[in-house]
Amino acid sequence: MKNKQPPDPIREKKSLKISRRHFSQAGGAFTLAFLLGDRNINLTPAQAKTQKIPLQLLNPHQAALIDLLGDSIAPGAKAAGLSHYIDHQLSSTAPDNLLILKYLRVNPPFEGFYSSALMAFDKAINQRFAKNPAELTSDQMAEFITIMMTENPEGWSSAPPAPFFYFVLRSDAIDVTYGTMAAFDSLDIPYMAHIEPDHEWADRS
Amino acid sequence: MRNHAEKVDIVIVGSGAAGSLIAAEMSEAGKKVLILEAGPERGLNDLTSSQMDARRLKWSGVPVVEKGPQPIGNVFNSGYGTGGSALHHFGVWPRLHVEDFKVRSQHGRALDWPITYGELRPYYDKIQQEVGISGDAASEIWRPEGADYPLPPVPVFQQGDIIAAGFNKLGKSIAPLPLALNSRDYKGRPACLWDGWCDAGCPTKALANPLAHYLPKAKEQGGKIIHNATVTSILTNNNGNKATGVKYHAKDGTEITQLADLVVLAAFAIQNPRLLLASGEDGLANHSGLVGSYIMSHAAATVFGLFEPETEPYMGATGGQLLNQDSYDHKNKRKLGFGSYQWMIAQAVKPNDLLGYGGSNPALFGAKLTEFMQHAAQHFGGMTACVEDLPERSNRVTLSSERDKYGVPLATVNHSSHADSYALWQGAKEEGIEIFKAAEATTTWNGPLGPMHIMGGTIMGEDGEKSVTNSYGKCHDIDNLFIAGPGLFPTSGGVNPTFTVHALALRSAQYMVRNWSSLT
Ligand SMILES: Cc1cc2nc3c(=O)[nH]c(=O)nc-3n(C[C@H](O)[C@H](O)[C@H](O)COP(=O)(O)OP(=O)(O)OC[C@H]3O[C@@H](n4cnc5c(N)ncnc54)[C@H](O)[C@@H]3O)c2cc1C
Ligand code: SF4
Repeated sequence: MKNKQPPDPIREKKSLKISRRHFSQAGGAFTLAFLLGDRNINLTPAQAKTQKIPLQLLNPHQAALIDLLGDSIAPGAKAAGLSHYIDHQLSSTAPDNLLILKYLRVNPPFEGFYSSALMAFDKAINQRFAKNPAELTSDQMAEFITIMMTENPEGWSSAPPAPFFYFVLRSDAIDVTYGTMAAFDSLDIPYMAHIEPDHEWADRS
Repeated sequence: MRNHAEKVDIVIVGSGAAGSLIAAEMSEAGKKVLILEAGPERGLNDLTSSQMDARRLKWSGVPVVEKGPQPIGNVFNSGYGTGGSALHHFGVWPRLHVEDFKVRSQHGRALDWPITYGELRPYYDKIQQEVGISGDAASEIWRPEGADYPLPPVPVFQQGDIIAAGFNKLGKSIAPLPLALNSRDYKGRPACLWDGWCDAGCPTKALANPLAHYLPKAKEQGGKIIHNATVTSILTNNNGNKATGVKYHAKDGTEITQLADLVVLAAFAIQNPRLLLASGEDGLANHSGLVGSYIMSHAAATVFGLFEPETEPYMGATGGQLLNQDSYDHKNKRKLGFGSYQWMIAQAVKPNDLLGYGGSNPALFGAKLTEFMQHAAQHFGGMTACVEDLPERSNRVTLSSERDKYGVPLATVNHSSHADSYALWQGAKEEGIEIFKAAEATTTWNGPLGPMHIMGGTIMGEDGEKSVTNSYGKCHDIDNLFIAGPGLFPTSGGVNPTFTVHALALRSAQYMVRNWSSLT
């Protein structure tokens, strides 16, 4: 051991103070290759939603539930195209899959994970409020989310644990709402890409 | 359909940190080298700056069955394809300490390494000179003897300054974090731009990942690599005391026999023992019965806070800016538990992903989440303790009853933190909160225990009854079968493993060159 004195922290201040927004104006966007008819087109999940690109695996009801719950957790997720993002990823091969679920000890294919959890979500809401999820007030939805983040609500069955599904869908919703270049801009932080996301995805279409 | 490929001098399984270094050294020594890499080919152009895209770099080979209360986190902690996990590792490269090598001798518990720090030191020194590490050795008052870093320390941004004030207030020490990335241009590789995209893989070569240095070096010297080549077994002679090569499956499923004079397993800590266990009736090189045992994973103790001043949390490298190792030496002197840990302070952070601030506090949703995200974008701070995991024989890789498409049993990994390691993690979390409060965080919170780095499973040792390999990674039972990577570690220490992985791999490669004729 040398120099027992606590050192001064280095104070080599960077001259690199970033001018915000400077880096993210190149316009790269989080686009994926969506199937339209027999051709692939590159769109952001939000564009895919607006353009009503047909879903590959989710049915409209499942997509609506994903958007409803996702948007209640991370406002903006629905408009950012959460259901199209998840649908797109569910149909992509394991190595290319971008879903956070792959980190969480669930092996692909992931479709059953989402479909069983959505069914449980639907059923448990019906049991608690005698309503469809879309009819809940925002207070009721918040009440339900507060329960599901810590335990399985009554009626939640044949599905992954509710707190786990909450964590996964929350992460998906944060991905589409906050993980894109546009979202960095809206948070007023620089993206500073080395390689912008859309370039690679465009090449792969 | 079976094929026989042309024999090579040395076949290396895996193109990550260890495999690429050994390939470079052995090619330089004039050997005919072939790396077989299970995952796809990746170039620098594939390293897209996106936390979502980064997930493509993670393990997507055969599934691993994870068991135990603190599962190992295989997919998050492993890479697949050119460069392995090292392609998207963060380059935090401290050295192990003197005490780490002799825990059993000094404390009567855990295990000893078959080498001392002093024996490994020249290799640390050589590697850092070769690839470049930025740091300030004099400020690291805890650092064992060693050459100064070849590059000046990484800069400190707002987040680092703000958290450093907490350490200072409590009389704790800090130093620049030693990072295997360039604070200045170095040997033809550019300086870092401090944009925090290391987790997505650094495409500029500022960070010493395998694509920046050792793989190009291996290729320049004639080394070859085949991608999408999944090794399924190690071949031996009839007596089982000499490796003759490996069997692998190409992308189209063809089974190929690759003969070699020497075989190196560098397929990381879970797949190495899986391959050994699957290659012989009782496992290959498993005379000790220890293949698979002593799997370890550092427990990450995360501390988060919001601060009144702006923190610029998007600036810097993903690994962090500053280091504290006050709780490292004298493993028996911790307030809680036993072992060592270090703080990696002020990591550059993105909004999304497991390591992003969005994921840091899962209880937030709705309008509160929106408000948090907007505030955190400018005011978030974080630090992570890398907490030692004591080796336990019952933490091990075994073969599952499930098989992959080639008929090879999957790996099952059981992992449960030793009670003293768990207590150490608790203590680190508490200390972290205290430091953040001293740094005047307006809010503080901890994350759950996250497994970080995988080590052990094919440990080295002096005694063939108590370990799988000798200190050079040579299997006790088979002279021309070597293992490389953190799987060799008998104890985990409390520092990130990859600098040590490099130092050990260099030492092994030099040993192979020196003893080539007797080994083969
Ligand atoms: C997100 C992240 C951040 C990290 N940050 C740091 C850090 O800052 N500092 C640090 O010290 N460490 C860090 N690490 C750990 C570091 O990446 C590993 O310690 C290191 O890469 C291990 O080297 P390795 O060569 O043993 O394995 P790897 O680098 O993982 O390479 C193993 C290779 O073997 C291949 N393989 C596996 N099975 C087979 C098979 N059957 N046939 C053929 N090929 C096969 C894999 O596809 C892989 O490419 C980090 C890891 C991760 C995941
Ligand atoms: S922060 Fe530096 S090392 Fe990390 S990706 Fe950017 S340039 Fe590379």
